[in-house]
Amino acid sequence: MFQRLLIEKMEHRIIVGTLSFLGIMVLTGWIAINEGGRMRSFERQFLARSIERGGQLFAANCSECHGLDGRGLTGAAPALNNPQLFGHDYLAPIRAEMEQLQAEREIEGLDEARAAEIDARLQELQAERDAFLAQIQPAIDKGYDPDQPSRLQQVGWGGPQDAFIYTTLVHGRPTSISYWPRPMAAWSQTAGGPLRNDQIQDLVNYIQNWDKGDNWTVEDLLAVNQFAKVPGEGGGAVAEGEEPAGDDVQAIVAALENITGDPVNGQSLYSAQGCAGCHAGGIVGPATEGTWTRIEEERLQDPALAGYTALEYAVESIVHPNQYIVPGFSATMPTYFGERLTVQQIGDLIAYLQSQDQPAE
Amino acid sequence: MTVLPFPSFLDDVKEKGLKRAVFEGVNEVTERVTAGMNLQDIREALRGEAPSRKPNPRLTPHADGFWLHMRPSYFNREVTGLYPTFRLGWLSTYFVFFETITGMFLMIYYTPSPEVAYENMLNILSNVPLGQFVRDLHRLGAEAMVLIVTLHMLRTFLTASYKRPRGFTWATGVVLLLATLFLSFSGYLLPWDQLALWAVTIGASMAEAVPPEIVGTNVNLLLRGGPEIGANGLLRFYLLHVLAVPALLFVFTGVHYYKVIIHGHSLPPKAENIGEDTAKRVPLDKRVYFIPDILTSEIMWIGVTTFILVVLCTWFYHAPLEAHADPQVTPLGTTAPWYFLWIQGALKLGDKTFWGVIFPGLVFTFLIFLPYIDTGVSRRFAHRRFMLTLGFLLMSATVVLSYMGLPEFGVATAAEQAVLHELTMSPAHNHMGKLLPVPYEQLPVGAYTTRQIEAGPEEAAAAVAAFNEELEATGLGATLLQELQQTHKLDIASLRFSTVPADAPELYKVLEFFEHELDAHEAELRNAVGMLVITQNQPNLKRIDALIMWNPVEEETADETLQNAAQTGEAEQPFRIFAQHIFIHADSNYFAAPGA
Repeated sequence: MFQRLLIEKMEHRIIVGTLSFLGIMVLTGWIAINEGGRMRSFERQFLARSIERGGQLFAANCSECHGLDGRGLTGAAPALNNPQLFGHDYLAPIRAEMEQLQAEREIEGLDEARAAEIDARLQELQAERDAFLAQIQPAIDKGYDPDQPSRLQQVGWGGPQDAFIYTTLVHGRPTSISYWPRPMAAWSQTAGGPLRNDQIQDLVNYIQNWDKGDNWTVEDLLAVNQFAKVPGEGGGAVAEGEEPAGDDVQAIVAALENITGDPVNGQSLYSAQGCAGCHAGGIVGPATEGTWTRIEEERLQDPALAGYTALEYAVESIVHPNQYIVPGFSATMPTYFGERLTVQQIGDLIAYLQSQDQPAE
Repeated sequence: MTVLPFPSFLDDVKEKGLKRAVFEGVNEVTERVTAGMNLQDIREALRGEAPSRKPNPRLTPHADGFWLHMRPSYFNREVTGLYPTFRLGWLSTYFVFFETITGMFLMIYYTPSPEVAYENMLNILSNVPLGQFVRDLHRLGAEAMVLIVTLHMLRTFLTASYKRPRGFTWATGVVLLLATLFLSFSGYLLPWDQLALWAVTIGASMAEAVPPEIVGTNVNLLLRGGPEIGANGLLRFYLLHVLAVPALLFVFTGVHYYKVIIHGHSLPPKAENIGEDTAKRVPLDKRVYFIPDILTSEIMWIGVTTFILVVLCTWFYHAPLEAHADPQVTPLGTTAPWYFLWIQGALKLGDKTFWGVIFPGLVFTFLIFLPYIDTGVSRRFAHRRFMLTLGFLLMSATVVLSYMGLPEFGVATAAEQAVLHELTMSPAHNHMGKLLPVPYEQLPVGAYTTRQIEAGPEEAAAAVAAFNEELEATGLGATLLQELQQTHKLDIASLRFSTVPADAPELYKVLEFFEHELDAHEAELRNAVGMLVITQNQPNLKRIDALIMWNPVEEETADETLQNAAQTGEAEQPFRIFAQHIFIHADSNYFAAPGA
């Protein structure tokens, strides 16, 4: 049957061949018509799967410093799931209206009724603004600046937002050691890191998937554990007109005799200076809990530290951290604390450490 | 009066009138283009009439034209039907051209560099109109070509067409088969996805086993361009794929076809006397002329075959593209392409050098020299019992070895890994984890356990409640939670299991499958419980952690351990936990492969 239909008669061959070519053209045309939709759906699907891979990579590589939910870890690294990174300006409507009204108020010969109206409205707006600021006070305390809501503007980044994240991931932040306990490493293989650039792109897609656009809420802002710091500001706690402690251990120890440490201030310094980033839990540096007991019962028994007092050891560990490395750890602690803290602040820190002296179970 | 210094078309028009002048012009051009056939000749040919003028104009295109100079002007009626050729040789040639044309389109959008090759693939799929279609055609054509060329060889073997005087034709055919296999295989590497990297890594490591060692090492280095496959290796495979091997293929196609024409298409074994070869002496009443019969037939077959490929690529087939190549991540169950599975199977028999290099080498050497080994004159089936038996044994061996090449055979994977792999694997080899195609809205946040399935629909709620209590009472719940939080970095504060909601039947099916798999591995995973923990990671992204908790069994002392367990009681038993997690985005659109 097949033989007779397709092979023997010329007419059949011509009909079958013509129909086949017609079929090819119709199907190809049909595919071509649908290409736009197909390509769009492929892009959507690919982005979705890229975000999935980014999720895996984030959990494995980034969550240790930036938090599992991307909200940052106090003293360790800033939040990425953060309206500031995406430049959301909560005050934008209020600010815009205020500026407009103030401009109108400046006009000479404005009739008085209107001027009074504007003043009243301005007061209203100011009250609204103050109320909002009061509401987000906890975030402001953590370093959020409501008048500088965009991280990109803060660091003077001119490119698009995804490029900012991409570049940061590729090259890391070489200078971040001056304000974070552990610097952001270069993650791309092109910069000597472990990840391929397509994986970096997956991470960028995942991080950008946190963007809520105009739907960021105050709760999102308040949930942030750690805001980004402005590079170049050093991050020291020495106020203007005060002397830094310097790096002479004996002099600091002598000065500390006349000083009473404040453990509460010590605690806030402990997280603000990023100590907690490494010492909490004792993963990168020795654990916070039980420091004092360990100094007295273990460290000072080490022949290398013969003749030290506990206070001397503690001060040296802060201003010259690499002088003596506790076995099992490595020399990663920054050496700049002598320049960043006053003697009083070192005293506060030591008082805080003493208050944490319940040995970990 | 003429304007031009030579007779022109205008003079013709004046002399004969427009209609006649145009007709004669077209007629003349047609005769020149076809090297001998004018409009009337073509009309007669297509109507199936005898040629009306002499000498026969249907023979001149063969004698005077370039395109048909290598095609015979008539065939024996015995070989124009479906049997004995099944059009397999013609189809092989068709695919050579089909692959060349589709391949050239793909070359426009491809750069052979590991940095961008995969991105090029994504670009072809997302940004090139008809890009996916052409890639599907090229890939499907490649698989089909391997199949067709192999079948062509098989047919030639069965009808003993390799016998004198066609021995050399057969030998060049084996070279063509090798070229086809290598073309298809080298094409595997180009997308630079996981499938590519690992299939080719397996292949190239066989080259390394070529004895003596100094040859193997250097062949491997030359092929890969370094100890590991990278930028150099990709470039080399690309050049082999688009230049060197196609050049070889075209030359040998020419030689092969030339030999076919020189000796004529071999007739069915029963059509001639034993020891005779009458292919070149075609009696007048058996002649089927190329023009018009074979020509129209071939044009029809081009249409039909292309149409079939187009239909397949429209609805049924898409070329696979897996995750980006990653030398650090070895996928579970890596296999060679299907046509090399028999070698992979043979490798499981023992020595890499013997089974991976010498054995296939012997097979192909035997194939090349087959016509010079099997020199019996008769082509009749009844006289070739030994060779046909040998042929079928070889085919059976190939099937068995190919089966042995599958990862299911003889590759030991830890049971817990195998089970979770079935749930979470990313798409590969037309296969994906059972959790992936579950619709996003049928993944309700919560924790679910196979205990629910074990207990059956009625007891489900009670069983899950009992499981929660058990976890709390034994402290296992805290261990699990800690494992998830610390080792797997899952952002949860507590772990409490519930039954699968009624509106998530697909998730329920996965849980059923999970329970079924755990049952199947009862021996290794004693008292196993499967768990799925679904969390919301981002507003449109969910994370699913799959866990297995079981009592480990010491393999040799299994009975003893059981007895000890019975004596010491349940509470003392140490549990082992294994977990893996995946993320599912609302737009990911994983679809289960047909038949999966």
